[in-house]
This record gives sequence, C-alpha cells and structure tokens, in this order.
Amino acid sequence: MSPRQTLLLLLLHVLGTLCLPILLVGVVNRTKSWWGGRKGPSLTQSFRDLARLLRKGSVVSATATPLFRAGAWVVLASALLAAQIAPWIGPLAPLQFRHDFILFAYTLGLARIFLMLSAMDVGSAFEGMGAAREAAFTAFIEPALFLLVGSAAIGSGDASLAGSIGHWHAASSFPWLAVPAVLVLLVLLQAEAARVPVDDPATHLELTMIHEVMVLDHSGPELAAMQYAAAIKLTIYAGLIAALLNPFDAQQAPMSATAAAIALMIAVAIAVGCVESLVARLRMRTVPAYLLSATVLAALMLAVSSWLTEAR
Amino acid sequence: MNWLSAAVIALLSGAFACLLPMRNAARVAIGLASQVLATALVLGVAVPVAFGGPTLDAHMAWAYPVGMLSVHLDALGAFFLVWSLPMTLLGSFYAVGYLHRHFNDGRHLGVHFALLNLTSLSFLLVYTGDHALVFLLGWEIAALAAWLLVIWDYPNQKVRFAGFNYLVSTHVGLIFLVAAFMILYTRSGSWYLAGFGRWMQVNPGSERNIVFLLLLASFALKSAFFPFHSWLPRAHAAAPAHVSALMSGVIHKAGLYALVRFILLIGRPDEWMGWLLIGFSLLSAVIGGLYTVSQRDLKRMLGYSSTENVGIAGIGFGIGCLGLSWNDGTLVALGFAGGMMHVLNHALFKCQLFYAAGAIYRGTHTVDMERLGGLARFMPWTALCFLLGGVAISALPPLNGFASEFVVYSALLHGSAAAAWAKATLLAVAAGLAFVGAVSALSITRAYGVVFLGNPRDPAVATPREANRWMLAPTLLHALGVIALGLLPALGLGLVEGSVRLPLALVSGNHTAALAPLHGLAGSLSLISALALGLTASIALFWWLRERAGGPARSTHVTWGCGHTQPNARMQYTGSSFSWDFSRRFRGILVLLRRQKAPDGYFPTDSYLVGNCVDAVERRLFSVIKHGDESATDLSRLLREDSPRFAFAAGLIAVVIIALLVAVSGEALG
Repeated sequence: MSPRQTLLLLLLHVLGTLCLPILLVGVVNRTKSWWGGRKGPSLTQSFRDLARLLRKGSVVSATATPLFRAGAWVVLASALLAAQIAPWIGPLAPLQFRHDFILFAYTLGLARIFLMLSAMDVGSAFEGMGAAREAAFTAFIEPALFLLVGSAAIGSGDASLAGSIGHWHAASSFPWLAVPAVLVLLVLLQAEAARVPVDDPATHLELTMIHEVMVLDHSGPELAAMQYAAAIKLTIYAGLIAALLNPFDAQQAPMSATAAAIALMIAVAIAVGCVESLVARLRMRTVPAYLLSATVLAALMLAVSSWLTEAR
Repeated sequence: MNWLSAAVIALLSGAFACLLPMRNAARVAIGLASQVLATALVLGVAVPVAFGGPTLDAHMAWAYPVGMLSVHLDALGAFFLVWSLPMTLLGSFYAVGYLHRHFNDGRHLGVHFALLNLTSLSFLLVYTGDHALVFLLGWEIAALAAWLLVIWDYPNQKVRFAGFNYLVSTHVGLIFLVAAFMILYTRSGSWYLAGFGRWMQVNPGSERNIVFLLLLASFALKSAFFPFHSWLPRAHAAAPAHVSALMSGVIHKAGLYALVRFILLIGRPDEWMGWLLIGFSLLSAVIGGLYTVSQRDLKRMLGYSSTENVGIAGIGFGIGCLGLSWNDGTLVALGFAGGMMHVLNHALFKCQLFYAAGAIYRGTHTVDMERLGGLARFMPWTALCFLLGGVAISALPPLNGFASEFVVYSALLHGSAAAAWAKATLLAVAAGLAFVGAVSALSITRAYGVVFLGNPRDPAVATPREANRWMLAPTLLHALGVIALGLLPALGLGLVEGSVRLPLALVSGNHTAALAPLHGLAGSLSLISALALGLTASIALFWWLRERAGGPARSTHVTWGCGHTQPNARMQYTGSSFSWDFSRRFRGILVLLRRQKAPDGYFPTDSYLVGNCVDAVERRLFSVIKHGDESATDLSRLLREDSPRFAFAAGLIAVVIIALLVAVSGEALG
C-alpha cells in the first residue's frame, strides 16, 4: 500500500470522526422512532440542531467561573483527540504508537473531569448529583478498557490500540473472544456515551439523569460542544466494534473496508437504538453491578486470551 | 566533596545562628540565607552527578564507633538531592508567609527554621552516607525534626496526639531498620552499605529474605504504604501546610530512596521480592485511593493520596526488581525510570496541593470541605494551582503525572515477561492502576468542585483573600515545574536516566538497547505534549477570536434550579453526598461513620447528618489493644490470689524454671 493511499485513509478517518457522529445519532433516533411507530427526524437532524445552537447566544449562571465555559471546549477537544487514536476503518489511526490506548483512556478521563467540574461550577444540587454518579460509575468500568485492549494485545502481538483491535482477528483467541469483546465494548459505549440502560438521554426528570443533568446549565455554543462531544464518544466505541469485526483488510481493499466499517457502525447504532426502545434503564443502584460485570468479563477474557496464546 | 561539607557546615551553623537574634525577622532571614547557601552548594555538586557525571567518593576519619566515615554520592543519591533541597527551601519560603502572623506574637520562629535546616541536613546524610550509622543518624534526624515541625501548634491536644502517633510509628520503623542492620552487620562484618551489598549479593536464602522483609516494613512505614500508613492522615492534618507538604512530598521519599538503594545492593533480587513489591504497592495505591474519596478534611485527603502515589511509584520499582531477577534490561530501565519519575512528580504536585490547602486554611481557618465553597472567586491563583495539581495528580495529560504513569504503564505492558501468566498478571495490575486513576480523578473533582466551585456553604466561614506573595510564589513555582515536566518529558527522563543506569549495570546484555524503549517513550511523550500544546493553543485562539468578534449575545442568570426558584447555598451537593454513591460500595474497606437526626413531625426544627470516614487500620489497632487489655484482665480474674494451692503451685513452677535456666546456662558456658 502506497504512502499516498495510507494518507488518504487517514484523512478519511479524520473526516469520519467528524461526520459520523451526526449520522449515528440520527440512526439511533430513527430506530427509536421506528419502534415507537413514528416517522422520526431526518438523519442529519442533529447537525441542524448543532448549527442552530452555534448561532444562538448563551446564558451563563451567575455562580460560574471561567472554567464553566472553557470546560465545554476542553471536553470537545479531548473527545476529538481520543477519536484520532481509536480506529474505525481497520488497524490504523492517525495517532498510533506503543501503548497509545493509555493516552486514549486518560484523554477521555480529562474530558470527563472537565465535564464534571463544569457541572459543579454552577452550584446546583442536581448537577452535583449527576457529576457524582458519572464519577462513581466510570470508576467501575475504567479497568474494562485496559483488560480488553490487553487481551487484544496479547492475541495480536501489537501494542497500539488500532493495531491490537484491528489485527486481533488473525489471532487464535479471536473466535472465542469476539462475542465477549463486542459485549464489553457495548457496555463501555453505554457508559461513556450515556445510553440506556446506564443512562437515558431522553429522560425528563433531573433526578434520573446522569449526562443530561450535567449540561443543564449549558446553552448555545457550549451546549453544542457538549452534545457533539457525546456523539463523538458514541462514534468512537461504535468504531472500535467496527474495527474489531471488519472482515476486509484496510490495506488490501480500502474501499470495501470503509464501506463495511460504516455499515457495522450503523448496525451498532441500530442495536443501541433497539436496546434503548426495548429495555428499561437500570435502577441507579444496580448500574455499578452492570458495569462491574463487564469488567469481570474483560478480566476473564484476559485470562482466556493469555491461556490460548500460550497453548498455541 | 568540600562543597558538601561546606553545605553541612552552612546548615548546622545556620540552625544555631537563627536561634540567637532577638527579632523573628532576623532569625528567619538567617535560616533562609543558610538554606539558600547550602542548596546552591549541594546543587553545584549533585547536578553534574545526577546527569551522568562521575560518582563522588570520600572518606573521613571519625570518632568511635563510626571509625571511617564514608561518603558516596552516586546518580541515585544525586537525583534525590537535586530536588529535595530546593523543595525544602521553597517550603521554608512558604513558611515565612504561612507563619507571618506569628512574627510579632512572641513565638520563637528561629526554632522552626532551625528544624527546617536540620531536615535539609538529614537529606544530605541519608542520600550520601555510605556508612550504616550515618544513614541511621540522618534517618533519625529527619524523623525527630519532622515530629517537632508537626507539633508547631502544640497547645492543641489533637496536634500533640498526632505528633506522638507519628513519633511512635516512625520509631517502630526504626526498630525494623536496626534489626535488619544488625543481621547485616553480624553477617558481613562491615558497617558500610557497600559491605552489606557484597554479602547480600552472594548469600541468597532465608536470612536475606528476612532482611528484605524487615527493610520493606521499615521503608513502608517511612513512606506510608498501606497498612503502615495509620500515622499519616493525622500527622498531615495537624501539621502546618508547608510541613505537611515537605513530609508528604520530600521527607518520606527517603523511604523509597532506601528501598531502591537496597534493591541495588541486593543486586539480583529473588523473583518473589518483585512480585511482593508490586502486590504490596498496588494494594497501597488502591486503598489509599479509596480513602481519598470520602475524606472531609482536605489535608487528610491529600495525605491519603500520598499512600496512593507511593504505591504507584512502588509498582514501578517492583517491575524494575522483576527485571533484575529476570535479567531483562528493558524492564529494569522502564520500571525504575517510571518509579523515579513518579517520585519526583509526586513531590512537585503534592507540595503544590498542600500549599494551596494551606492558603485556604490561612484564609478561612478551616479545611473542612463541607463548610467551604466558591473559593475560586476569592482566591483565583490558589484555585488555578489546585486545579493544575489536581489534574496532574489524576495523571491526566498533558501534565507531569501523566508522563510518569505512562512510563509505569509501559513497563507493565511491555510484554517481555517469559510466562503467559506473568504477562497477564502485569496487565491486570495495569487495569488496577486504571481503576486507581479513575478513583483519584473522582476525589480530585470532588475536592476542587466542592471547595472552589459553587457558592460558599457556611456563612460562619470568613471570606478569604488571596494568599500573600510568600505563599503564592512557591506554589506557582511548583505549578511551573508540573507544567514543565509535563510538556518536556525528555527533561524528566533525562533527570532519571543517570540513576536508571545504576540498576542497569547489574544486568548483562546490551545496555544501549535496553534504554532504547525508554528513549522511544520520550518520543511518544513529546508527541503527546506537542498535541496538547497545539490543542490548548487552538482552544485559546478560538476563545480569543470569539471574544474579539463579540460572538453571540451572552447573558447572566441564576443557576437553573429545575423549577425551584429559591435555591440557596445549603442545597448544593456536599462532599459526602458526592462520594456516598461510590464509597458506600466499599464499606468493607472504608469505615463510614454517620451521625444523623432525621426531620420529625410537621414542623421539624433540628435535624442533621454528619458523615465521616475514619481510618480502618487505626481503629483496628486500637480495638486490638483494647481487646488485649480486656483478655488480660479476664485472665487475671481467673487466677485467684488468695488460694494457697495456687500460690504454692506458682512458686514451685518458678523455682523449677529458675533451676532449669541455671542448669542450661551452666552447660552453655561450660
């Protein structure tokens, strides 16, 4: 594969991380409308929403410090940076080096900490509650990503996030671990992108919100940044599942690999929409157990992966 | 060498001289001047050694029982000296601002500054002494000076209790250390650390194992690893802020220095030593992290976070230890470099956080999170420093905490372990470290969010002013260090490379090749910091452009109260409500006390809820003492003193035992 082709693929990757969030959110919403018997908004509705928000002015709480407004942009920048480390087309990403998934995890951590701090900045009881839930729940899921990527790295012998996920299907452990890996990634998606059953983005009661309650006081461009960042997180995890399952080799057949990746991501979005329509969200007290089960599953995967790799 | 002796003389004479003048200002000036001089002298010697210069060795005749005093300054000691003394100096400058109101109230500040001088002196002794007694002397000076510094506010009974608690703990640690040194002396016949090393390198076995365990216990007490940390939360909460900062950031790093020093002396540790160290450190990191979550005293929380961070550094050293026993140079380089960088980084951001906490205490006279709030508006610089330190301590990019944890992670994930189970275990440790990272992000968000953001919670708390310049300058300098080591990771790696070469010299193979992954990391980290700089610059530019263009209209309004129109400051989420969701799931580990009176009746008047998290180890310790006392009482109740049969039997048994002892000792002597 020529360097020019690689460059084109990387450009496509960047373009995808910018555009796909809008498409995927559209697909999720359409799926939910379909289950609800409605026609639903157009697939690009969230783009129009964002554009409208960007044109609007904003109302800022009198309690807020400058951190409140900077927070939204830090969250967006961090999400964009993380999206350049995670693969979606195949085993490649613009930012790729040994153990880059540590940067990936901690960049998302930076986004989270600024999200929580800008929520606490306005001094509202509800937003503090949302931040507390976000902090508590993500602590239970954080090891899962490391365990998952660790099992992938042992299987594929590649130390970068894109390489280990994208090359895993050549390993002997893959047939055994593909299904649990997708499950773990789905739970990670639900936790990080605030989807049912961990969080319900459509709820109207502040007491039951996690992500939405943290952005209650954001408006205008800052709200747009927060919402776009959440959509990017959804895309990142959908992209990881796509890169994991992609049957085409991005080096040999870039066009079919890209098409397959987009199809897979849309499938993930449809799955997210189906879960959201058919399953009630978990009670708050059972969410940690749900997240912890994903972490335990990932730990089991690590054991199986290292056992299978040694047995070979 | 002469410079080092000059530094010792400067510190000692400064310590004496600052007791003499009549005015506090003159005492403080003398103390600071002598420290500046000594620091400059030591840096002049230590910096070249730390960056790979030749090792310094010197001998000096000394009175019995030391005999020949031996000074040995290699890259490891130099690395610790290079930052310990300047940070102590900064702490002394901070002390001027912190103790400012005592300048004219009759307290003798000279003593305090003399003790700070002695702390610097103890670093010189511990980090350069090659003689076991000199090492012990430095160790003991540090402990006593720290104790006296902690009880600055001695009229307060709680402070005295914390001080004695610390004194007892540190001397229990000393007993372990002395026991280990006695075994080493009897076996090696030498008082020199190098002599200890020669014996330990060739005599693996149960005695070396016992020595290792004794040393580990002693150094763990010094550095406050779990479960040897019970003295730490009390001492850190009771001491003046700069003393807490120096203890947590600098003084107790001597335990980690000694740990690395003795690993080097052992040369090729057994594999179990590495695994034990990793497991022990991970335990410390996890439990220390969990304890930070539910503390309501800001300084106590920072104290527990020391337990967490020495754990993270310990994991690095543990991997280095495994690398030594597997003869794997890359693992040695990555492990020791990660641990050492984290030690330095922790010193930088922990002092900064404690200095910020001290500024809060000076401004509001409390560090109880539940009573504070909205401080960012009154003390913006302190808030900025606390935020930077908090982001760094949660190991988030692009600050220095991320750089060192990235190296530790790379060591864990390097994958050169022979067995698959070892590889998987190290990966699981990495996942544990990820959990620790998430937990520390939680606790720092909680601390910053509750203390600095929102509205003031308690009208009884004074509205603070920004800290004075003496306090602000050291805090900002630490913040600069945090940013510099984060954005220029090559600087940090260069600083530790000299000391990493020491353990590397103990393994066979190509050392340049073993260092290559470390240099590769420098590349990755530089890339990360360039990206971070780019992103920060673009956010700033974007912001500036928007401000300039006027942007969309912006208005200010009260916080959205979800329909409730009369919000007040008491309705905000508190620290304990923030952590309740998380910490109640760890009730097996955390002792969460709740005292409450629920509202009752139609017009409830008095109701409250007080939550606190106390130390489980300390509670257990006292409950064991109590139970031991009770069972001894029960036992003595069983023995009736007035029974003649019992008195006769007891007398007979005593006579028999004495006779046996005499007979046995006669045989032994004969």
